[in-house]
Amino acid sequence: MNETNKKTGSTWIATIGFGLISLIILFPIIGLLISSFRPSSDLMRDGITFSIDFSSLNIDNYLYIFQEAGSYWSWYGNSLVISALTIVLSLFFSSMVGYALAMYDFKGRNLFFVLVLLILMIPFEILMLPLYQMMVGAQLIDSYFAVILPLIVAPVAVFFFRQYATGLPKALMDAARIDGSTEYGIYFKIMLPLMGPSLAAMAILQGLGSWNNFLWPLLVLRSNDMFTLPIGLATLLTPYGNNYDVLIAGSVLTIIPIVILFIFFQRYFVAGLTSGGVKG
Amino acid sequence: MKKSLLILLLGVLAVVLAACGGGGDDASGEAEEVEVIGEDLEDATELTFWTFVGQHVDLYSDAAERWNEENPDKPIKLVAETYPFEQMHNNLLLAIQSGQGGPDMVDIELGQFPNYLQGDIQLEPMNEYVEPVLDNAVTSRFENYAKDGNYYALPTHVGATVMFYNTEIMDEAGVDIDSINTWDDFVEAGKQVVENTDSVMWNVGTEDWLMDMWPMISQQDSDAFDENGELILDNQTNIDTLQFLQDVIYEHEIAEVAPGGMNQSEEFYGYFSDDGAASILAPLWYMSRFLDSMPDMEGKIAIRPMPAWEEGGKRSAGMGGTGTAVTNQAEDTELAKEFLAYAKLSEEGNTNLWTVLGFDPPRWDTWESEEVQADNKYYDFFGDGIFDMLLEVRDDINTLHFTENTPEVISEFHTNVTQETIRSNTSTPEEALKKAADAVRAEME
Amino acid sequence: MSSPAQETDAMVRDKQPNKLMSILNSKKVVPYIFVTPFILSFVILTLYPAIHGVIMSFQKILPGQVEWVAFRNYERVFNPNFYKALSNTTIYVVLTVVILTLIPMLLAILLNSKAVKFKTFFRASIFIPALTSTIVGGMIFRLMFSEADSSVANQIVHLLGFDSVDWRYNAWSAMFLMVILASWRWIGVNVLYFLAQLQSISSELYEAADIDGANAWQKLRYITIPHLKPITIFVSTITIINGFRMFEESFVFWETSSPGNIGLTVVSYIYQQGIGQNDMGFGSAIGVVLMLIIFVISLINLIATGTFKRGDE
Repeated sequence: MNETNKKTGSTWIATIGFGLISLIILFPIIGLLISSFRPSSDLMRDGITFSIDFSSLNIDNYLYIFQEAGSYWSWYGNSLVISALTIVLSLFFSSMVGYALAMYDFKGRNLFFVLVLLILMIPFEILMLPLYQMMVGAQLIDSYFAVILPLIVAPVAVFFFRQYATGLPKALMDAARIDGSTEYGIYFKIMLPLMGPSLAAMAILQGLGSWNNFLWPLLVLRSNDMFTLPIGLATLLTPYGNNYDVLIAGSVLTIIPIVILFIFFQRYFVAGLTSGGVKG
Repeated sequence: MKKSLLILLLGVLAVVLAACGGGGDDASGEAEEVEVIGEDLEDATELTFWTFVGQHVDLYSDAAERWNEENPDKPIKLVAETYPFEQMHNNLLLAIQSGQGGPDMVDIELGQFPNYLQGDIQLEPMNEYVEPVLDNAVTSRFENYAKDGNYYALPTHVGATVMFYNTEIMDEAGVDIDSINTWDDFVEAGKQVVENTDSVMWNVGTEDWLMDMWPMISQQDSDAFDENGELILDNQTNIDTLQFLQDVIYEHEIAEVAPGGMNQSEEFYGYFSDDGAASILAPLWYMSRFLDSMPDMEGKIAIRPMPAWEEGGKRSAGMGGTGTAVTNQAEDTELAKEFLAYAKLSEEGNTNLWTVLGFDPPRWDTWESEEVQADNKYYDFFGDGIFDMLLEVRDDINTLHFTENTPEVISEFHTNVTQETIRSNTSTPEEALKKAADAVRAEME
Repeated sequence: MSSPAQETDAMVRDKQPNKLMSILNSKKVVPYIFVTPFILSFVILTLYPAIHGVIMSFQKILPGQVEWVAFRNYERVFNPNFYKALSNTTIYVVLTVVILTLIPMLLAILLNSKAVKFKTFFRASIFIPALTSTIVGGMIFRLMFSEADSSVANQIVHLLGFDSVDWRYNAWSAMFLMVILASWRWIGVNVLYFLAQLQSISSELYEAADIDGANAWQKLRYITIPHLKPITIFVSTITIINGFRMFEESFVFWETSSPGNIGLTVVSYIYQQGIGQNDMGFGSAIGVVLMLIIFVISLINLIATGTFKRGDE
């Protein structure tokens, strides 16, 4: 009796504790959400504040963004297209590599894996100036391609897929070979579906990386109608323009779709991370 | 799993479609960061224009409309894009380095300009248009953008630095602003303001030295570099001037650090509108900031020359500035140059600099013209007599000296010097300026 | 993605014996085909730029004029601004590694225990900040930590009885802003990593410990924490590397120049010099130095954690 009381007691304490932690962590986003209904110049002057004049709340910022701010929506479109392409291409290439590393014995496999780890350690920022020169040479500046190219083969994803595929049953491969499947058929028809959860997890991580990517697109994108959301929104952080309406409401609208996607796929995401595990 | 991938793709698609559906027409917005003029004209040559001050676009869109009426044989389609200061200059450098992706015309801030004069210069000389008008203009403003006898950009204004006084506060404090002739007078008046009102006299910025340090040394014939390109940032005049700026805050206690770090920030506009301070030192073009961001101040602001360092000393300096240049990446450089000169350098263009943007035009032969003297919103806001005052201080304006290291000086000043002397009072002005000068000298080799 | 898939489908259906096909389908060749895209992209997008970057670091690069300057750029690297950038970055790395390893570990252990209800909700809400970009997150923090008296941060500071703080202008608060922004965004991700590892610990271990009469603390000390070692190495390594390449957290508060360089990081120094000051050669030299630093630190990290001894499996 005493034991169970103690148990429910600590359950409540822990749950309330986590409630508080969640509240603190979500506070900035809630603050932004509420503030997005405030007149934007007030917001810039006072910051996000506890003392809100609720009578001044209105939806002008959103009306403006839906009716006037044409370029905001082209940034949105660019971000969506770039993220979608990055997810599809990087998942395709990285899963192939990770799978091959896990499932086949071949000469140079270990060397190759070390190479992946090595690339993982080179910060992209160091390559950025020469890469930029390359994009100039290839006449790719100001194109989707320039943004996506360096993201296609992601060493983190290769690493992750390799860990995940190691846990897949090799017996299935042999069975399929006996049935006359080609190696490619085995990969696409049998193994890829089995890697589903890990694909979902990496899709979210890669999508996030691309959706929020900043420095590289900042370098290679030039014209306003090619900007992605982070670049476009950063252009609004200027004291010389009066674009704060778009900035605040626009920021809220960048978070919403990705939160919805996350909630929708949360189950796969956690399952993917969990079953992959990272076995040092 | 295939199914959920399909759902993911469908979801993405749905959002794309929603986004496309949501996009309205974009030609109308007042605060739009892209503005297009002449979209409906056939065979129009497209001219892209980058700026970091949204207001400047008005001048060119105005000019583009007139141009298309007057020149139906060579119509233009102007695409004007506004970016934050650093981003625009960095992007322009990248574009110029790489020879692609740049605009046809671009606003370049004076302090950044030397960056674009290195290597093979990628801007087009404008001599054929500039030379004929030099005799009637404040030439120092054109020299700022010249190298080896070539004029690479057209100035936007004289940038005569003046004092904006809040007359309500001054009256409450019992100060007659016409009696403030020297900086000593200014300090005395400041003490009266602090004593009799809830406001301070003035603000020193930390991220915008052309609102205090630079005009105040220029007015004493000093600068960061001398006419031979030698670094004189740490000379005695400059040390004394910085000492003065430190003293108004920490010794006389008549000023405080500008909210937001500079007087061109949203924080500052709110602060000044609430009577936080009694005066602003700024070039005349600061008028447009009042109209746009502090409209409540109408009728309360008086404009006077800067205080001098001694009786009879210089009472202004030409500050800030934006040179508009044509890049060699323009589709039709001749057309771009012709349009730029039309928009900015012609008599009408110069008049528009005043009527549209509230800038003191570089060509003084327009200052007394009818159009310039005619009523407009700036006279309504600040009273008449702006140009009388300008004519009075016209000869006080010194040429500024630039080298390829000017951007480094400015960067050192904003990051280190103001931090140590103005914001935190941890270094003496002499130490801070010597340190900054040494850092820049190391760069100069 | 669909077209190669269809191709292979076609190949499967095609039962005609085909010599080329059988070579392409041999188990010796297939893995190389699978890794070819990676090799190609490595050569084009990593190896070549890395070499080119080293070459650029010996040059002075201006529009239309490239000049060989030998070690001139490297002589200039070791200046006070670089040291400032390096020390800011190092402090940032140390703080984020400590915060982003310990707190997520603790939260994950608690979340994994049976005591907490609504786990899914908490897990999701801790993760949500990771979904915002640094730009958006940074803007929120800029507004919350605005220097105005009315900002949330300053209102709290007032409650505690202190004066308003100019958050973006003091060295300590600048570091605080960058660290708290990064922590806020990354805690949820790291909690998930730790949770994943925790769920892979066999429950039999705990049952056995129960039989031996171990208390909660002993179970934590002797079962949970040792099993978290691999993921801890992974998380801390990623955090170190991300810390050294930090740029956006600084950019969003100050763009590229901060008062007294309180927000200057090594990468923002590369950006500031390489692009802002039009000096790509110098920027590349800083990049090469940073690359060497990261290699040394990663090496130390890997040796210290014994990764090499275990081989690659």
